[in-house]
Parts: sequence; structure tokens; C-alpha cells
Amino acid sequence: MTHLDTAHRQGQQGVRDGGSDHAIEAVGLSKSFGRTHALREVSFTVPRGSVFGVIGPNGAGKTTTMRALLDIIRPTSGRATVLGADSRHAGPLIRRRIGFLPGDLILEGRITGRRLLQHYADISGPVSRGYIDELAERFRLDLDSHVRKLSRGNRQKLGLVQAFMHKPELLVLDEPTSGLDPLMQQEFLGLVKEVREAGQTVFLSSHVISEIQQAADEVAILRDGRIVTVASVEGLRKTAVRHLRMRATGIPPAELAERLERLDGVAGLVCTALDSGATEAVATLEGAIRPFIQAVSSLALTDLVLEEPDLEEAVLALYTAPAASVTPVQAERRDRS
Amino acid sequence: MTTATTRRDAESPDAAAGQEFIRRAPLPVFGKAFTDGWRALIGWAVGFAAAVFLYLPLFPTMSAGAGDMQKLIDAMPAALIKSLNYNQIGTGAGYTQATIFGLIGFALISIAAIGWGAAALGGDEESGQLELTLAHGVTRTEVAVQRFAAMALKIILVSAVVFLLVLAVNGPAELDLNVLYLFQTSVIFAGLALLSGSAAMFFGALSGRKVWGIGGGSFVAVVGYVLNAIGNQSADVEWLHALSPYYWAYGNNPLANGADWLTMVAFFGASLLVGAATAMVLRRRDIGV
Repeated sequence: MTHLDTAHRQGQQGVRDGGSDHAIEAVGLSKSFGRTHALREVSFTVPRGSVFGVIGPNGAGKTTTMRALLDIIRPTSGRATVLGADSRHAGPLIRRRIGFLPGDLILEGRITGRRLLQHYADISGPVSRGYIDELAERFRLDLDSHVRKLSRGNRQKLGLVQAFMHKPELLVLDEPTSGLDPLMQQEFLGLVKEVREAGQTVFLSSHVISEIQQAADEVAILRDGRIVTVASVEGLRKTAVRHLRMRATGIPPAELAERLERLDGVAGLVCTALDSGATEAVATLEGAIRPFIQAVSSLALTDLVLEEPDLEEAVLALYTAPAASVTPVQAERRDRS
Repeated sequence: MTTATTRRDAESPDAAAGQEFIRRAPLPVFGKAFTDGWRALIGWAVGFAAAVFLYLPLFPTMSAGAGDMQKLIDAMPAALIKSLNYNQIGTGAGYTQATIFGLIGFALISIAAIGWGAAALGGDEESGQLELTLAHGVTRTEVAVQRFAAMALKIILVSAVVFLLVLAVNGPAELDLNVLYLFQTSVIFAGLALLSGSAAMFFGALSGRKVWGIGGGSFVAVVGYVLNAIGNQSADVEWLHALSPYYWAYGNNPLANGADWLTMVAFFGASLLVGAATAMVLRRRDIGV
């Protein structure tokens, strides 16, 4: 019991003193299953009161990271601190202040949602009266039907209620939006924003950024057990590619091409002469748009379409690019290869 | 839930604000493990009642036609009689031992105990539910200990039902059983089943798979039974008795001769040791991989 008490004290200290700035701190976290390296020296920090997303393709190590934080599996090397306590010795008092949603959510089917939640309330932090019903209403979840009769989406909602109901300081949510319809995804993202405003920290994963880009302050991209990059969503957006299409009159294709090619970040440029006599240019633009606007300001533009940066595309590029060629968005790059 | 009383939790920041929380059950893991299986528990009790009421009332007719019975026994191969412990079937104690405690009852309670033990941790991990439980405010030791206790209580309740059922038919079926010996045999009956159930729980916890739990538990029950049966055959293989939990339990015919308390305590003590080992292996493992 001694180490539990110690952990609790550490946890409490974490709230009070300087440890309060990080809800999660992972340092060189590695995990091997036999010859498979699920995690390779993963390091990151999640500031308190922030929403931190981790995205990556299936098998990238998202679930393994989360399980290691909850002490469900033990890292081969490295360490993690959760709410100020070492994850290996954090103990039940720390876990009461965490809400966890597993990636492969399996719930007992023979009882009603309400009874299942009562059981999880029995073994988790204190749950305010009425809050379970409030959450269930929000997600339009019927608590009185048997769990086995619920659809996958409704079971996911039960899992979410279970994670949020004791208003934990830290939420660890593995693919929280999976199985939810778009309306409920929005409801979930709204809830994440609310708990963030209430000072709670959210650590969540997804395999597509579109699901979490609205909610996350920072995003870590995980690939093959390594963190490829940690960036703010804004930072990712800056590296993301915009598609542009423009038409101008009074300039031949060759001249327009020459003018645009000089700009940084322009790629895939194709200039064609249209029947109407105008010239059309199609390209992608990466990075700042100001130099581009300046370069085309003197043209007689008839049409200009500059699309929103496509984060999905940016992330997919990071998924597939060879590790060495990936450009770190911030100095926090942990990749060692 | 509207009648739930207020609970203030010292470690919660909300407690200071005087917020009301829903009530939390004491020993939640034990309570859940026990109440989850209450329907099955009733089913098992009905099964035992069926076995007791099917077999034991036949005893008077069998002993009345003792000559016929003896002829039947004589006609059976000696090896079979020894394997089935039918050599004392002419007495009430021998008959009850051979049919209920040593055969049908033993099979039923072993199946129940091994099923409960294998499901408690191995089955729960395999289904993916243990992960979420352990992510809450419980330690692995708590989960193992409370689920072990729930399994033990179920086995003891089932054994108590068997004790009461046999006691109820003792007079009408002219079994002429010594009540203390019946009680001692019931205790041993529970202890033997608990040992198989504990083994099932241990191997389930060790592997994270229900099937390994069932295998480990069945090994204790079935191999114990088989070694006893082989050991009965001749003096050359009698040493096999030493390896058989079944023989440790019933070798001395407790229903006819009574049992020493050490034997009774030993089964529970050994089961507790296996339970402690279960908690230790569960603490060391990665769950759900």
C-alpha cells in the first residue's frame, strides 16, 4: 500500500506545485511484443488543460501508447508520468482521476447501460448525481436497454459516458468518434471543448485528422511506433497544401508559368491557353500565401480559387513519406532515423 | 438511484463544493462477480437437486434386492468396479459417495468451478473487458482477490445446497448417513472443487485465455480422477494416489469414516495459495495483448 500512498501524494503535489503544467509526460517510451516494435522511443508532453490528438494509421502505436499510460501494458523501456505520478506505480487513486475509453470497446451485454455505468461508477471517481443522465441525454442514449441490443454507435456512446461521467482531470480516449454518426461526432467535439474550458485535459487518438482537427490544440503524428511530428493544428495547416486555380487575361501561358514557378511552395504547375483567350493556371501551393498574392496582384485576374489547406492530404503525406524525408513542423521532432 | 445517499469523496475537488455524488457499492468487484452469476447459480442448484433426487431415492430398492445388486456388481469387471468406486455401493454412505460426491456431483461442481475460475480473469481479459476494469480505480490484486472470493463463495453455496439436499433425503432414502461425516464430506467436496476452480483462474490469469484456464482446471479435476482410478487397480500403481487431489479428498471414504480437519483445511489452504499466485501473475502481465 505504501507505493499507492506515495503515488497519491505525488499526484496531489502535481496539482499543487510546478508539476501542474503537464498532464502527461512520456519520455523515450518503447514497447516490444516479441520481435515487433510497437513503440520506439516515443516522447511527448501534454500540457494540462489542453486537447492533444495523436493520429496515425492502424498499427502505428496509438493504442499501445494509451495502454501504457494506464498501466494496462508495461513499457519495455522509457517512462511516462500521468497527472504527476509514474504510470507504472500510479495506482487506483490516480486512475480515479482519469477517464479511459479503449479502442476496442467491449462491454458486458447482459445488463442495462444504466447498471453497467453504475458498476463503473463504483470503481471510478465520484460521479455527480444526474450527470450520467445529462450525458446520456446529450448523446441520445437509452440507458435502460440491454447493452447487447445497442448498436455499435450506441455502445460507443456508453463508453464515452463511462469516461466522462466522473469529470476526470485527464481523459484518454482511443478513437472516440469511431462508430458515431456525424451529428454525434459534433456533440462529442462540443463536449471536448467544454471539458477543456473546465480545465480538464484530453488525450485522444484518431486515424483521420478531420475528426479531431477542430478540437485538438496539438497533434502528434505516429507512424510505425515513432512520433513523426508534433505540431499545432495551425502548424500542420501551414504545411498543408492548398489547391489553386486561376485565370488571367493578357498574359501568355509561358509568361504566367515563369512568374509562378519562381515562387516557393508552388508545385504541379500547369498553364494552358483557353479558347476564350485567357490563360488558366492550376497548381498546388504550400506555405504562406502572401508571396503568391503579391506575384499575381498585377495580373488581370478573371478568376481565382484558393482552396482551404487539406490537412488530410498533409497528414497522409507524413504517413507515407520515408521517415528521413519528413520535414519536422516544429523543433519537437523525436524521430531519430 | 434517487434514493442514493450523499457521498463525499476526500480526493475529489467537487467534495468541497458540496456536490452530491451517486452512491458507490462497497467491494464492487466482488459484488459484481457474485451477482452476475446468480441465475447460473440457481441453475446449478437445480441440477444438483435433480442428481440427488434421481440417484439417492433408488437406494432402498437397490439394497432391498441386495442379492440382485450383488449379482450385478459381481458381473461387472473388477477393474470397472474399482474405477467407479462401486466396491462399497451396498451401504448408504458408499452409495452416496459413489454416485453424488464421487461422480455426478463431482463432475457438476467441477464443471461449474472451472467455468467460473476460467471466466473470472482469463475469459474477462479475452473478451476485452478486463482492460477497462483495470483502467479504473482498482488494483489488479483487488480484482483477483475479490473475484477469487466470489468464486469461492459460489462453490461453498453450491456445496451447502448439496449438503442440505442429501440431508433431506437421508431419512426417506434410508441412507443412514452420519450427519457430521456428511458435513465433513461436503466441506471436502467444496474444497476439491475450489482447488480446480483456483487452478482454472490461475491459468486463465497467466495466459489471458479462457481455454487455458479450462485446461488447467480440468487437468486438476480429470487427471486427479483418472490417477485415483488407475491407483485403485493394483498395489503396483497405488503410488499414483499420492498425485491425485481426488484421492486426497475421498481416498479415506470420509462419508463412511469421517475426515480429519487437516484434510479439509488443506484444500482451502492450497486454493488460497493458488489464488495468491494468481494475483501475483496478474500483476506482472501486459493485459489484452
